[in-house]
Amino acid sequence: MSRSLLLSLLTYGLLLAGIATLHGGFIALALPLVSYLLIGYLQAPEKVQLEVTRHLSLERATPNQDVEVTVTVTNQGPALEEVLLQDQVPSGLTVRLKTSRHLVRLARGAAYTFTYIVTGPRGGYEFEGLDAQVNDHLAIRNTKVQMKAKRRLFVFPLVTRVRQIAIRPRRTRVYAGTIPARAGGTGTEFFGVREYQPGDPPHSINWRASARYSETLYANEYQQERVADVGIVLDGRLKTNEFASGHSLFEHSVQAAAAMADALLNQGNRVGLLLYSSYLGWTLPGYGKIQRERILYALANARPGDSQVFANFGHVPTQLFPPESQIVFVSPLADDDLKPLIELRAQGYDVLAISPNPVKYELSYLGNTNSNIDLAGRVLHMERLLLLQRLQRANIQVVDWDVKEPFDQLVKRRLSHAPAWLRAVGR
Amino acid sequence: MTTIALILSILVGTVSLAIGYGQAGATNYSRLFLLLAAVWLFMQYRKWYWFSSIALLMIIVAGAYGVWLGYPTVWMVLGAVGGLLGWDLSDFARRLSYASPMDDTRPTERRHLERAGIVAALGLGLALLSVFIHFQRLAFEVAVGLLLLAALGLTRLVIGLIRK
Repeated sequence: MSRSLLLSLLTYGLLLAGIATLHGGFIALALPLVSYLLIGYLQAPEKVQLEVTRHLSLERATPNQDVEVTVTVTNQGPALEEVLLQDQVPSGLTVRLKTSRHLVRLARGAAYTFTYIVTGPRGGYEFEGLDAQVNDHLAIRNTKVQMKAKRRLFVFPLVTRVRQIAIRPRRTRVYAGTIPARAGGTGTEFFGVREYQPGDPPHSINWRASARYSETLYANEYQQERVADVGIVLDGRLKTNEFASGHSLFEHSVQAAAAMADALLNQGNRVGLLLYSSYLGWTLPGYGKIQRERILYALANARPGDSQVFANFGHVPTQLFPPESQIVFVSPLADDDLKPLIELRAQGYDVLAISPNPVKYELSYLGNTNSNIDLAGRVLHMERLLLLQRLQRANIQVVDWDVKEPFDQLVKRRLSHAPAWLRAVGR
Repeated sequence: MTTIALILSILVGTVSLAIGYGQAGATNYSRLFLLLAAVWLFMQYRKWYWFSSIALLMIIVAGAYGVWLGYPTVWMVLGAVGGLLGWDLSDFARRLSYASPMDDTRPTERRHLERAGIVAALGLGLALLSVFIHFQRLAFEVAVGLLLLAALGLTRLVIGLIRK
C-alpha cells in the first residue's frame, strides 16, 4: 500500500467518524494527517527532467578485467530533494568496487557523477539505462523515471598466442601465404625439377641434374605457398559440452577457437566461424584484423544450446565452406559425429578436429576415489580412443586436448611446423 | 540523527497514548501501548520497515477509540502526531538505507528532519487549536457542510495523487 493511500484512508476514516459521532476530537486527530498530506503534495516537484550520460573505461575487455563505469546525471528541471539513482547493471556483470546505487539531492542544473567497477565473464553486455526514483520531502509522491544511457561492453575470450599452424588443404587461394599449394613456383620447399626456362634465375639451375644431360639445363622448382580458406566450426551443443554440477568444456572450446582463428588470420588466411549450437551463428569469412574482431565479437556472444536439428554434425551447412577448403572442428566430439565428419572428408574438405577431452575433464573433478568412477572412466576412455582412431583412419587430423595442458603448448607440439629458416638447414 | 528522532517519535506516540489511557484508568491498554513501542523499536532494529504502517494504523485507531471513549484528546492527538512522525522517519530510514556508504546523507537527513518537524508542529498546532477553540454558534448544518467540503477537497487531492 502506498504511503499517500494509507494516510488518505486514515484521514477519511477519522473525518467520517467525526461526522457520524459529531465529535470534534476525531477531526482534531485527522488534522496532523491532513497537514502532512497537503504539505507533501504541495512540495512535490511538478516535472522531473534528468539527463544521463555514461562512459566506460573500456568497451572491449578480457574476462574478469576491471571496467570503470562513469555515470553523470544532470538535473534540467526543478530542484529534487531525494533522488535514488540505480544503474541497471547487465546480468552477468558483477560490481566489484563501489556501488551502482546512490541517494542524492539534485539542485536545479546540478550534475552528479558516480563511478563503479564491474567485471564479468566472457559475453556481450548492454548497459540500457538508469532508474531514478524521485521523492518529495515527505515521500508522499514518488516518481519513477527510467533514462536511457546505452553502452555496450564486450568481454572477449582470452586469445592464446599460437605460432604457425600447419594445415594443408587441397585448394588454396591465389594470394601468397604460408600454406604449401601443391604447385610449383617460388617458395622455400623443394617441389621438383623441370627444364630450365628463359627468365628463371640462374641460382635455380640444378647443376647435378643438368650435368647428366649435355643438351638441356634443369632448374629446381619450389612449392608455392599461398593462403587458404579456413572454416572454424565451434561446437556449442549442450550434450557434448555440459556436464553434471554445472561443469562445462565450452569455455575451453571458445578459447581454442579464438586461438585458432587468431593464428590462422595472422598467417593471412581467409577465416570464417560457424557456431554450431541451438542455432547456426555464421561469421562470414574474411581477412586480417577486422575479421579477427568480428570473430571475437561472435565468440564473446557464443552460448551453448540444445537443438534436435543440430544433435550431430550432420547438418553442418557445407555450402558455407568453399570446396576442398580446410575445416577446423573445435568439439569434444560425440559418437554420432563420426559419420558426418567422414562424409565431409569424403567431399574433399581437409578436416582438422581439435577435441577437448571430456573424459579426462570429468575425471579431473570427480577424482578416482570411487572404483566405479575409475572403471567407467576407463570404459569411456577406450570408447573415445576408438572414435578418434576411426576418424584418423578416415584421414581426419585429430588433436586430443587434455584441457589441463595450455592450448599453445598443445598446438606447438601437434600442429606447428618449423620455421622456414630451420627447415632450410634441414632440421 | 534520524535514528534518535525516530526513537523519540515512537516513544512520544506510544507513551502519550499510554498516559492518556492511564489517566482515564485503562492501565491495561497503557501497558499494551508500551509493548507496542517495544515491538516497533525491535522491528525497526531488525529493519522490518513494513511494521511502521501497522503501528501507525494501530496508534490512529487507538487514538480514535480514546477520543470516542472521552479520554483526554490532547494525549490522543500527541499520540497521533508521534505515530505519524515515527512512520515517516521509519520510511525515511528505509530510503536512507539505499544510499551507498560514499553518499553524504547528512544534509538530506537534516532537511528532512526540519520539514517533518515543521509538519508535525503545524499538525499538532491545528489539532490543539481545534480542541481548545469552540464555535458555540456554529450550526450543525454548517459544521456538516464544512466537513463535507473538507472531504471533497481531500478526495480531489487523492485523485490528483493517483493520477500523478
